[in-house]
Parts: sequence; C-alpha cells; structure tokens
Amino acid sequence: MSTLIIIDQSPYGSWEGREALDMAFSLAAFDQPVSLLFCGAGVNWLRKGQDAGKIQQKSIERNLAAAPVFGVEALFADRRACDQYGLAGTDLLDHVSITDVGPDFTGRFDHVAFAG
Amino acid sequence: MSKSLPEQTRTPAPAGVFTLVITGAPYSSQAPSTALHFARAALAANKRIDRVFLYGDGVHLASSLSAPPSDELNLSEAWAAFLTENSIPGVACIASALRRGLVNEAEMHRYELSASNLREPFEIAGLGEWVDSAASESRILYFHKGG
Repeated sequence: MSTLIIIDQSPYGSWEGREALDMAFSLAAFDQPVSLLFCGAGVNWLRKGQDAGKIQQKSIERNLAAAPVFGVEALFADRRACDQYGLAGTDLLDHVSITDVGPDFTGRFDHVAFAG
Repeated sequence: MSKSLPEQTRTPAPAGVFTLVITGAPYSSQAPSTALHFARAALAANKRIDRVFLYGDGVHLASSLSAPPSDELNLSEAWAAFLTENSIPGVACIASALRRGLVNEAEMHRYELSASNLREPFEIAGLGEWVDSAASESRILYFHKGG
C-alpha cells in the first residue's frame, strides 16, 4: 500500500504541515512506502536557507533533508506551484523532484491524503 | 434510516471497512459532526468502522471538559456515546494530544501536570494506530477543517 501525503499550506503558519510530516515519517518507520507532494503555497516548505528562529520555531528544512534517510521514498514539488512562486530547481532542497501533478501522478499511489 | 438509503452496487471500501481520521476541532470546524453523520450512515448500511483516529486539532473532541450550553449538541459526549454503543476504538494521537493539553492519567503523571481530561472511551496512542489502518484493507476517510 503506497501513500502520497500532500502538503498544500505554507510552512510555519500552522502545525498541520509538521503533523503531516510526522505521518509520513511514521509510515516510513513501519516500512510502508510513502512520498510527499508539495503544491500550492506548500512548495515554500522546500526552499533552501530557511531560518525560523525569530518566530521561535525550528526550521523544517533539516527535517525535510532527513526525509530520505528516514525512508520517505520521494519529495515532489508541483511544477505549476514552483512557477507561481518563482522557484527554480536550484532554489529547492536536494532530493526534490519537480513534477507535473494530475490524475496520472496521483494514480500511482494506493492512498492519497491531504495534510489538513 | 437504512430503508431510505439507495442500494449500493459499488463501494469505495472493497472490504466494507472504514477508518475515520478527524483533524478538525469541534466548534471551530464541522469535521467532527460530519464524521459522526457519516459513521452512523455507514453502520446503518452494514459497513464496519474499525477505528476513529483523532489527529491535529481533532484531538479536542476527546476532551472530558467541554461543556457547551445545554441546548447545544455536546459533540464530545455524542461521539463518546456512539463509540461505546458500537464498540469502536477511538484513538487520539499522543503527539497531537500532548501539544494541545489533552492528557490521560498516565501522561498527567509522566509530565507532572495538574489534571487529566481524556474522555472515556477514547484512548491515547501513537501514529502506529493510523499506520495499521493505512496498511490494511480499510478505506481511510479524512475529516478536515475545510476552508
């Protein structure tokens, strides 16, 4: 059973994205195939060089960079959203694949869940 | 109620089993109420619900301290009664719960807190409960806050 978890909200505004990440890490910890898709404002999660110290939060950059180590199979960024936010491949964290999102893409997964 | 339901020829849950994940909080979202309506309809249609998992803001549903005015639906009470009557496990994610001040007695002692407020029959457990559903034949439905 492969799962795709979609994060479509910008980082730091709420805990929903972080908790979606916990869901992905949990699946991976139990050896269940899981990937993450960032779309809409969610692609801002994938920017390099984040510093959340001034709002007393931990940067999620380190968590995301560790995702492959913890067994998350892939990090995808929606191409259209990247264009909208002016993000090129070089602006994004390593291991991120920019992809065209549609039924063909989501159809590759048994479960598709939104972050909240 | 079941008499008014159309006969189903196809089901989105091949095994006839649903897992409900509620992430929207009571009173600030419709999620717990919509989920309860769905749950009642599913049982009326002879489907099974193997687990209700509260995640994120949804954990507030398991509070024993909510006390809305007497002429309003007490969503926590209604859900607790439904789970008890139908012997369905209700699980609040421990990480979400601890962040939001929802604790059972064990966690109260562990973190030296002044009170516990988990309503029976809800339990506190890890995301592994949700993973168990995700790895099974169960169809998982998410009830988010929307908007």
